[in-house]
Amino acid sequence: MTGEAVVEIRNLAKTFRDFWFRPLAAALRGIDLSVARGDVFGLLGPNGSGKSTTIKLILGLLRPSSGTVRLFGLPPRDRRARVRLGYLPELSCLHPFLTARETVRYYAGLSGLDRRTTRERTDELLARMGLSAQANRAVGGFSKGMARKVAFAAALVAHPELLVLDEPTSGLDPLATRDVKELIRKLAADGMTILVTSHQLFDMQDVCSRVAILSQGRVVGGGTVADIVAKSTDPRHALEDYFAAAVGATSEEKA
Amino acid sequence: MIASFLLTLRALVRGRVVVLLLGAAGLIHFLMPDVVRSDGTAAGAFEMHIRSVPGSVATMLLLTLLTVACGLFAREREDKRLALALVRPASAFGIAAGKWLALLAVAAATLTFSAVLTLAFPPTHPPQTGNLPPCRHHYAPSLPPPVVTAAQMLESYLRDPQTPEAVRRASRGAVLTLLTTKEMDRYDVIRPGETNVWPFAIPALEEQMARCAPLVLRVRFSTQFEMRTPVAGVLRLGAYSAVVSNNTQAVIDIPFVSPTKAGVPVAPVELSFVNTGSSTVMLRPRRDIEVLTPADSFAANLLRAYLEVWALAALLAAYGLFLSAALSRPVAVFTALVTLAVVLVAPSAIAQFPDEFHASLGDRIGLAISRGIQAVTSSVSGPSPISDMATSRAVEVVPLLRTILGNVVVLPAFLLALTAFISRRKPLADVD
Repeated sequence: MTGEAVVEIRNLAKTFRDFWFRPLAAALRGIDLSVARGDVFGLLGPNGSGKSTTIKLILGLLRPSSGTVRLFGLPPRDRRARVRLGYLPELSCLHPFLTARETVRYYAGLSGLDRRTTRERTDELLARMGLSAQANRAVGGFSKGMARKVAFAAALVAHPELLVLDEPTSGLDPLATRDVKELIRKLAADGMTILVTSHQLFDMQDVCSRVAILSQGRVVGGGTVADIVAKSTDPRHALEDYFAAAVGATSEEKA
Repeated sequence: MIASFLLTLRALVRGRVVVLLLGAAGLIHFLMPDVVRSDGTAAGAFEMHIRSVPGSVATMLLLTLLTVACGLFAREREDKRLALALVRPASAFGIAAGKWLALLAVAAATLTFSAVLTLAFPPTHPPQTGNLPPCRHHYAPSLPPPVVTAAQMLESYLRDPQTPEAVRRASRGAVLTLLTTKEMDRYDVIRPGETNVWPFAIPALEEQMARCAPLVLRVRFSTQFEMRTPVAGVLRLGAYSAVVSNNTQAVIDIPFVSPTKAGVPVAPVELSFVNTGSSTVMLRPRRDIEVLTPADSFAANLLRAYLEVWALAALLAAYGLFLSAALSRPVAVFTALVTLAVVLVAPSAIAQFPDEFHASLGDRIGLAISRGIQAVTSSVSGPSPISDMATSRAVEVVPLLRTILGNVVVLPAFLLALTAFISRRKPLADVD
């Protein structure tokens, strides 16, 4: 970890409004976060805590109500920031009529890669994901695990410096989950900065170097996983205990 | 843009849209001629064939493209695929343009297929056995624009002290609109023994005369009470002449007698008509009289007509994409079809109320809205390439180029820029 902030969030708030601009729900209520280069940063929280909204604000898919988001020191919608970004959505929302190869090539095309680089990267990533044999099959017929691997390949095709993973192990069987975790570890070892959200706390404890816990639109806890484990009486369930304490405390405060 | 183009093309091919379009075009070509019936004449059979076969293909293509375009962005947004594309460095305009180009490619393929079938299996009863009728340029008298004449009429009315106060107080625009309509329907009255002349500007007339090309006058004489009356007279256009011996109230094509030797017309060319009959006849110079000169082949006209349909498809595809970016798929399709219906109905609504002074307030509001719609959408409702082709009227190159510029370049660029703007601004996430 070099300490340089790849993602910098300051006092970020997002309130969804209805057609008449009346407040509908306050998804985020002024959060501060910083993801340093080389981090595997876990954004954790219960349902409705604001994780996906935070991710969408970081990706520039939503506009903040107040506060700022900076990617590599740039606004998220800046093309120079998007060139350095990879994104794996919660659902592997791929075009079912495209083959695995065409899918990866499509996203390479959207990332502005030239034809030769696209061809080489596609073959390389499909081989890395173990999908070379299925490269010419339509992804509509793939299992969830295989589709997730194709989506991973699409997210990685442009050599991103920051990879944003929204629930990467959601709906996967244990073997596929293990493959995904292994891949995250390998990417982190290669120096990629990874921002990941998940409900799977065991998985997060395995792969994350730092975490932040969101609850009701606020950051209610966080730190390095090593510190959390070191302070825990039950290292196997350290993150789960820490999460429960942080989120539980917020719920009690609210009550 | 290329990635988006290829994606959409694959979606259209693998989603069987292309196969269905080509299949439907083929079925229309082979089945429709046996379904429709003409008036029994060769010209009628040809016209019915063109209106029913290329006309049905064009209608089917335009409606299909519009509805497909309405789903392209909306569906991707609903399936969250659009978010995945928009986080990439590609511009939203490029993504929209890629989709639009794919729709244009499909439109081009369908029209090419239809054109090949039309030429390979031509109408079974062409006017000249074995040959498809060549198309002809249509020239109306070279008169000042009706609105200019209307403005001159208004000025003279306002100078006239006998003009009623109500006319002076009325809105200038409303009076001008009324006078323009009146000018379009103004009759020239030609009494027995009288001669009337109309100026014509026919660009290639000198060349036509030099090679003694066959010219035709299309005219419809009328009488004051629209009674069927014999009409007789002599027509002259430069070195060409023709004798009229027919009845009023019918559109008649009068072939000019080709000049015996090449002549050079004296500018400006005038068409003169000497009424040698015993009845007073009338005609509307802006509606009832045209000089028809030879243009080129049916195949060339078919190509130009299909280019015009393709340009219309380009505009509708861009409009569908724009709606798709702003609305959900069913709402976008509904809005598109309602808009299309309103655009097609607007000219009829205007024609129903030529005299708005006698219309109710509600009708006047409707009329104003219809005029606004007609003005804004003239590039959609104005051209009638299939109708032109069916009547062997040449689809003129200059208006065609103007249509292509508007419908394929300017308006789609504006609509695609709006599409890109909306797709970036519209939230791509619901409440967390």
